[in-house]
Amino acid sequence: MALFSPALPSTFSASCSKAQFPQKGRLAFFPKRSLSLFVARSADNGTGTTGSVAVEVNPEKKEEAAAPVAVEEKPEENKEAAVLESNGATVKTEVPPPKFLDPRWARGTWDLEQFRKDGTVDWDAVIDAEARRRKWLEDHPGDSSVDGGVVFDTAIIPWWAWVKRFHLPEAELLNGRAAMVGFFMAYFVDSLTGVGLVDQMNNFFCKTLLFVAVLGVLVIRKNEDVENLKKLVDESTFYDKQWQATWQDENAGGPRPE
Amino acid sequence: MAAAALSSAATATPARRHAALPSFAGLRRAPNAESLQLPSSTGRRGRGRAALTVRASNNPKLPAGRRLRVAVIGGGPAGGCAAETLAKGGVETVLIERKMDNCKPCGGAIPLCMVGEFDLPQDIIDRRVRKMKMISPSNVSVDIGRTLKPDEYIGMLRREVLDSYLRERAEKSGATLVNGLFLRMDKPAGPGERYRVHYNKYDGRAVGEPVTLEVDAVIGADGANSRVAKSIGAGNYEFAIAFQERMRIPAEKMEYYEERAEMYVGLDVSPDFYAWVFPKSDHVAVGTGTVTHKGDIKLLQEATRNRAGDKIDGAVTFRVEAHPIPEHPRPRRAVDQVALVGDAAGYVTKCSGEGIYFAAKSGRMCAEEIVRGSENGTRTITEADLRRYLAKFDKLYWPTYKVLDVLQKVFYRSNPAKEAFVEMCADEYVQKMTFDSYLYKRVVPGTPLEDLKLAVKTIGCLVRANALRNEMNKIGIYS
Ligand SMILES: Cc1cc2nc3c(=O)[nH]c(=O)nc-3n(C[C@H](O)[C@H](O)[C@H](O)COP(=O)(O)OP(=O)(O)OC[C@H]3O[C@@H](n4cnc5c(N)ncnc54)[C@H](O)[C@@H]3O)c2cc1C
Repeated sequence: MALFSPALPSTFSASCSKAQFPQKGRLAFFPKRSLSLFVARSADNGTGTTGSVAVEVNPEKKEEAAAPVAVEEKPEENKEAAVLESNGATVKTEVPPPKFLDPRWARGTWDLEQFRKDGTVDWDAVIDAEARRRKWLEDHPGDSSVDGGVVFDTAIIPWWAWVKRFHLPEAELLNGRAAMVGFFMAYFVDSLTGVGLVDQMNNFFCKTLLFVAVLGVLVIRKNEDVENLKKLVDESTFYDKQWQATWQDENAGGPRPE
Repeated sequence: MAAAALSSAATATPARRHAALPSFAGLRRAPNAESLQLPSSTGRRGRGRAALTVRASNNPKLPAGRRLRVAVIGGGPAGGCAAETLAKGGVETVLIERKMDNCKPCGGAIPLCMVGEFDLPQDIIDRRVRKMKMISPSNVSVDIGRTLKPDEYIGMLRREVLDSYLRERAEKSGATLVNGLFLRMDKPAGPGERYRVHYNKYDGRAVGEPVTLEVDAVIGADGANSRVAKSIGAGNYEFAIAFQERMRIPAEKMEYYEERAEMYVGLDVSPDFYAWVFPKSDHVAVGTGTVTHKGDIKLLQEATRNRAGDKIDGAVTFRVEAHPIPEHPRPRRAVDQVALVGDAAGYVTKCSGEGIYFAAKSGRMCAEEIVRGSENGTRTITEADLRRYLAKFDKLYWPTYKVLDVLQKVFYRSNPAKEAFVEMCADEYVQKMTFDSYLYKRVVPGTPLEDLKLAVKTIGCLVRANALRNEMNKIGIYS
């Protein structure tokens, strides 16, 4: 499960499968400015632990060579544990990060006036624009404080605009919705009859359970996805197993939950 | 055909869901369920006290004039609280901490109920956070402190301050504090023998002096890299690595963080967790964590600073720290007369990465069972006494851990899910529920109508975020 990829930027892109790190370019651009800390990589052997590192950085001393390192709590298993160098770098780079620019985007939201076509807002165009903005931000994640933050809320786009855009043309998605309705009914019926999913305890659990169900629905697009769903169920019970391990030891004495 | 398969999936799933996730149903009925799979001492609870006395009196009495002696290894919140409770309960307690001024890498956020339950003085809390800002991958930011009452807050403290305060309190209650590095221990050689704990005693000196201490029981509170756990073969856990920089920012920038903490979500700052900017006494702690991309932690940290951007402009880093965070408990948490508590046992929640409160609580609960089992230090104890602590802890907190695990799995798995998460957090009802459960550590009942509204909203948020994601993918392909 753990993906141990080296911390070196050069080999980084090859090793990173899921997360994207678009700031790589900027990193490479200012290699000297970034603190470099090669955190211990445990091979999940032995105790399965990683060394803990804490280093005081003294900004007064601008040494070029690696500063003497105070390493605490370095378990013997991690001989390679912490190699750390730093020269008290000031955090911010001088070159301003690229900024998302669109004439219709102002003060953290889309100016709907500019999306008007024949008197009504062209929601399709808003969806397009927002998708484009998110895509852009994924490639250039940046300063969250620009323009005092984003306030645009996708909920202002009416539901029928989404349906028109995404649901109707694709039969598969229709099925997805059917499934969703199914879950909903389950939720409803449960809450009315007082058995099963919701029953008497109307607490956070119902919701989290429901979130899982919803996620399942979002995942079910094709038949093969039923397999995925099974994986999902396994995944969601994995944690239970990890906790129950204590209670599976047959020889153990003492109070046991029945 | 596809439709048929799907509707069958839709109808089949609820059934399977019940089968596959029995713990939910079971737990929600926990107060009276007999068919509980999970650690719970229900049923026993009612008879609990009577049964307890019987059991306790079954433990052999210690020779007259000798008290039960327990070594607590590690002086973090878990160790400090365990030692205090033991000492107060009449048990001879030795607390071994390798570094008295240890500054544990930690965000230092504690829930409100901890202040009351552990009687923490107001002045060890550096800051009272009343505004929590959540920031989504597309930089949508939501303030989530709006439902807080005037006297409610998230406490931010420095661990060196908290830890030494708790240790001093343990000492005042009668525990002996030792500055020493625990090395290993030997099991009792035979009946009537005791554990032999080997440690290097420092007491201000640079070179340690090897010392052996004989004790009746050991509490392992020595954190994520626990040597006690290793020496009893407690097994391993999966862990995340958390990275944190402490930085001083210009006074005018610090103003913004006066009562505010920030949480960033997004693949750039962490594929499977969140990144944070937490205010401290006179500086901020900026950090992030991950299980799946440990090797890339440096880049994730760079991205975190990048996202905080202007707000931490001109910051000077004076401390860089990294530390593992357990993901789940170790397979064995009590063996013979040795029990694990806190991070050594693996009690950090998913989703929020919270561990201070649970460390302190588990330390105290473990000590309480030892005090009870030994009848205030006059009898020996058995593994059964220690397992009673485990049963109680699991019963009390399992629901919290499970909910947070589910939340993490659903909402941290992709960028659209994270967008949806932040959008949901704008909802007052969600805020109230989350804060209530965080601040007071209890699962609060909601109202069915609000629950239903929330369900609809959740679906809406997830569907919209995923629809946009599809659109974004298309852009990726065509341009
Ligand atoms: C970066 C980061 C941020 C975090 N942020 C938060 C947060 O904001 N809120 C929150 O609730 N939790 C947070 N946590 C989790 C929290 O820090 C831990 O769950 C908590 O510290 C556990 O306490 P503990 O007493 O079990 O262990 P620790 O705090 O790790 O204490 C262990 C103690 O044992 C000592 N010790 C270790 N080995 C030996 C030995 N061989 N001999 C003698 N002594 C020894 C150590 O010096 C230490 O004092 C964070 C963790 C990390 C890494």
